Amino acid sequence: MTNNQLKINEAANYLGVSIDTLRRWDDKGKLKSLRVGQGDHRYYNLTQLEEFLMSSCVGLAIKWARNNIGGKPSDIFYCSDSSVFQGRLYKLRKALSDNKEIESFFSLLISVVGEIGDNSFGHNLGNWPDVIGIFFAYDIKKKTIVLADRGQGIFKTLKRVKLELSNDAEALKVAFTEILSGRAPESRGNGLKYVRSVVGKNPISLFFQSGEAELSLDQNNSLLKIKKAKKPIRGCLAIIKF
Amino acid sequence: MIIDIKKFGAILTSRQLGKEALAAYLPNFNNISEEEKIYINFNEIDVFSPSWGDEFLTALYRKFGDRLILKKSSNASVKASLEMLEEANNMKFNIE
Repeated sequence: MTNNQLKINEAANYLGVSIDTLRRWDDKGKLKSLRVGQGDHRYYNLTQLEEFLMSSCVGLAIKWARNNIGGKPSDIFYCSDSSVFQGRLYKLRKALSDNKEIESFFSLLISVVGEIGDNSFGHNLGNWPDVIGIFFAYDIKKKTIVLADRGQGIFKTLKRVKLELSNDAEALKVAFTEILSGRAPESRGNGLKYVRSVVGKNPISLFFQSGEAELSLDQNNSLLKIKKAKKPIRGCLAIIKF
Repeated sequence: MIIDIKKFGAILTSRQLGKEALAAYLPNFNNISEEEKIYINFNEIDVFSPSWGDEFLTALYRKFGDRLILKKSSNASVKASLEMLEEANNMKFNIE
């Protein structure tokens, strides 16, 4: 066994699943173990596990945001504070920098990701209900970026400056459309309106959920489609496709 | 005076970092004359966002008004962010 190979119990711990789940995935071919020269013991390459996690990142983010009990996500996705998030934005920039297909909107795409992540930290600083920080991952092959937080959500934060808001759907609409000039006590900008503006003019699509409401924006279209979500989440979830 | 924004980093999206950038830079204005213009150069910036810009550029605009001159940038995120800041703050940057 090399340093990059993990035993099944270590792999289960790394992925946050049970050993039985890993055995089942192995038998079904969902995540094959390495057994060559190792008898019946199952081993996993760290790189293989990282790629598996990344390819499942959207599902894992949704599960994490929906779970009633908050737990720290896998280190590979977890940004405990804004400086970690900033560092990972640089990694995303590097991962996308050679992609000629997105050259014309590359800077806009990263700035949208930056605004959404920064919003999570700005909204919740000192007020995180359980897990501090955000889930941030991307799958370049699937052209998908996902961010999630288990914070207070848009409704609770906007209600402070707009008392007439009564639910998540109204709050989402305001967040993506209205310029809030009287921002006190929040010192925040108009990040989500910027996100809408960029998505509306570029080949980027967005799914955004906060609490019980979800919003979708198709690429090159600034029309907001807001509806009640099938299942509520803690905080916010954003799935960006490009 | 010319401020090269690239000296603050290649990805400028964080409100908190924008605030820190302003606080760190403010002492540079202590000895400038009342007529001196402040030029902002966006060359070699990769990614820019309204949050960083609001903390840095909006604050400078409020301090210097039309003496603050933004050099035209071809970067799409710079252009989109400046448009958003103008709309959100009901102001017009001096861009040339």
